[in-house]
Amino acid sequence: MDILPSEEEQLLKNAAREFLEAEVSTALVREMELDEIGYPPALWQQMADLGWLGLAIPEEYGGQGLPLAYMGLVMEELGRVLAPVPLHSTMVAALTVAEAGTEAQKRELLPAVCSGGMVMTWAVTERDPRLIPSAIAEQAQPDGDGWVLNGVKMFVENFNVARRCLAAVRTAPASEDNEGISLFLIDPNGVGVSQTPLVTIAKDKQSRVSFDGLRVTGADLVGELHNGWPVVERMLERATALLCCQMVGATRKDAEMAIEYAKNRVAFGRPIGSFQSIQHLCADMLLHTDGAQLLTYEALWKMDRGLPAGVEVSQAKAFANEKCEAVVRSSQVIHGGIGFMMEFDLHLWLRRVSAWSMRLGTTFDHRAKIASALLDKPGKVRLGLPLPA
Amino acid sequence: MDFGYTPEQETLRREVQEFIAEHVTDDVLGELETAEEGGRGVHYRELIRKVAERQWIGISWPKEYGGQGGSRIEQYIVEEEFARLGIAVGGAGSGAPAILAAGTEEQKRHFIPGLISGEIIFALGFTEPQAGADLAGLQCRAVRDGDEYVINGQKMYTSAAHYATHIYLMARTDPDAPRHRGISIFLVPMDAPGITVRPLWTIQSDPPAPIGTTYGMARTNETFFEDVRVPASMMLGEENSGWYVGAMGLNLDRVGASRYLISVRRDEDIVNWVKENDFGGHSPADDPAVRDKLAELWTEAQVCRLMTMRSMSLVERGGNFTYEGSAEKVWAPEHGVHTTETITQILGPYAQLLSSSEEAIENGLFAHNVMGAFQSGINHGSVQVMRDQMARRGLGMPRG
Ligand SMILES: Cc1cc2nc3c(=O)[nH]c(=O)nc-3n(C[C@H](O)[C@H](O)[C@H](O)COP(=O)(O)OP(=O)(O)OC[C@H]3O[C@@H](n4cnc5c(N)ncnc54)[C@H](O)[C@@H]3O)c2cc1C
Repeated sequence: MDILPSEEEQLLKNAAREFLEAEVSTALVREMELDEIGYPPALWQQMADLGWLGLAIPEEYGGQGLPLAYMGLVMEELGRVLAPVPLHSTMVAALTVAEAGTEAQKRELLPAVCSGGMVMTWAVTERDPRLIPSAIAEQAQPDGDGWVLNGVKMFVENFNVARRCLAAVRTAPASEDNEGISLFLIDPNGVGVSQTPLVTIAKDKQSRVSFDGLRVTGADLVGELHNGWPVVERMLERATALLCCQMVGATRKDAEMAIEYAKNRVAFGRPIGSFQSIQHLCADMLLHTDGAQLLTYEALWKMDRGLPAGVEVSQAKAFANEKCEAVVRSSQVIHGGIGFMMEFDLHLWLRRVSAWSMRLGTTFDHRAKIASALLDKPGKVRLGLPLPA
Repeated sequence: MDFGYTPEQETLRREVQEFIAEHVTDDVLGELETAEEGGRGVHYRELIRKVAERQWIGISWPKEYGGQGGSRIEQYIVEEEFARLGIAVGGAGSGAPAILAAGTEEQKRHFIPGLISGEIIFALGFTEPQAGADLAGLQCRAVRDGDEYVINGQKMYTSAAHYATHIYLMARTDPDAPRHRGISIFLVPMDAPGITVRPLWTIQSDPPAPIGTTYGMARTNETFFEDVRVPASMMLGEENSGWYVGAMGLNLDRVGASRYLISVRRDEDIVNWVKENDFGGHSPADDPAVRDKLAELWTEAQVCRLMTMRSMSLVERGGNFTYEGSAEKVWAPEHGVHTTETITQILGPYAQLLSSSEEAIENGLFAHNVMGAFQSGINHGSVQVMRDQMARRGLGMPRG
């Protein structure tokens, strides 16, 4: 029991911060909002050269095989500077291939991911944005030695630049044996795929993706046919934990900017940071950011030990959704009018943290999961001990 | 980062749980409920003797003073198991951490073994009628006279003073120095001539609150000092350094199970209650609004736990707090209030029934908690003052 980052973890985090603060300016963030592909390939390559893309990928496929927590710490630093790189979506898909892919899939994709030559993404959400199997209606019809996909996926990140997208589709109705969901690796440039960009609050790259008769084969299947949902669940857990890391990093930086501003901005003859109401707002920003960070770290730690972490991930995201949002809003309040101006940088953080709070499960979704774990299994609960299974 | 316990620590927890099942009898629990005695009757003393025999008190304290020289994590595990029953087995809240950190050799030898055996119990004499949150305004005087100090003044809300053997007293030794630099701490025996203790009855006194209620104590006190003489050797730390010794002691006091548990026990209680009970067939556990709220509270409670773990990790590494102790002391009490008030809206009119009432749930625990939970946000550093400290010390914000 020593919940603070270890020396090695801290070293990596510091190195990531140093590199990113030098390389990623708000000017770059703004430039990439307008950019066709949305990320600077040179920066992506540098990150590959630093070994970050392979941090959590097994050594035999060109990675470093480190725990997910290390990836999380880098993600936190990326969030801090709002680094415009497709790392989150790439990791979500790549780590799932590493977990459930075939040997051939791993050999084809993972070394390419590590070396910077393969941006990936994933697609689960459809019209009903809840991340549950019954919300996946999109059909894959058997067709000879493969399947034909038809339907629409929503909010797919970086689809415009991804070379592979890991999509969860329905191959059978839900049954007693499984949820009828299968995962396929698809080629975003394949025949029968089209996409429409969405204009988001974060000004990131998200698309509505349509499959019209897209053909996939058994070679594209990741995990078991019809029984892909458990793999999707773990993918979503990792995705959510890593997104929480980004939220924590961005939120802390945002809070720091407000605190700095409060120390310097003078009103009524004194720095506004000397007013108790402003100080207490800042103290709450610190509590909320720390809380989200502690919950996130515990979730990562559990995942790295192979312990059930669904509740911990949901706690982190439910908390971060509300509290990180509150922090960036307080930061706006402390900045008065200037924070509302396009030329002032603060909104870059507000917009992203807000958008992230809406993705990968709302507060209600996650609390429903926590409630179910707390209430629906017999046996007493106790904080700090695993819930009744 | 490591959020887990070692197998040895897990074994220790099981041993303590087994010990509790065997030795914490109804007699002991009955004694805990008698507010007047502070729950320290014969059975309770016998229990503490057995706990001490197992070497479970003061696990992290040095061996030469009767401790085990072990880790705070193990001490925490033992404390947590006992604190869940309302039993304090040393460590946080006992005065020992401050004495170990700032005391003389003589003081350590004098006090620590007694604190371990339970023979020495400290009351805390900080607050005064005109100095609460603004503690540095305290007026109780200690004047040097040869090898002694002579103490005159009044302390308020000296809980436990009616059964404590000693009081951990803050008094002013230099009235001309800046407020924070003229204060010293004394370890004063309660049987010294000139000390008078008068009861103050709390809103929990009629009917008495069940064990485990947050601030369920029926009684606290006011304590008067009239020409009380203490040897100069009973001053803790340097003369006029008492403010800093006291602040350090309060921070160390937060590194433990009891502070955190008083704010999260109701989360467990309400979840366990709705799982096992219903109102004439209707279970609040089926209500989506209640479920959402319970999940929210549970998540907040985890943050209380993690902040405590963070403080413990920091102290184990030998580091110092900048704001972490204060953060814990804001988040946990406010969470406790959030839970307590939510429970009233889950149980509705049943949550008004006090311990002596027919139909009371859990012996009136939730009703009594309504009267006590907010108190933990006032005591031991109010949440307002704690937020000031977070902003100023943690974030470097300017004074007003
Ligand atoms: C049951 C009980 C047991 C106790 N046990 C002990 C004990 O054993 N030993 C002991 O020494 N004390 C004890 N106390 C005292 C407790 O620590 C004090 O009540 C507490 O410090 C607050 O002091 P006060 O009551 O004088 O309130 P005040 O100091 O008058 O505060 C009133 C309100 O004003 C707020 N306030 C004060 N200053 C500021 C500021 N600068 N900015 C914003 N808000 C401010 C406070 O936060 C509070 O909300 C106990 C109290 C109770 C009720």
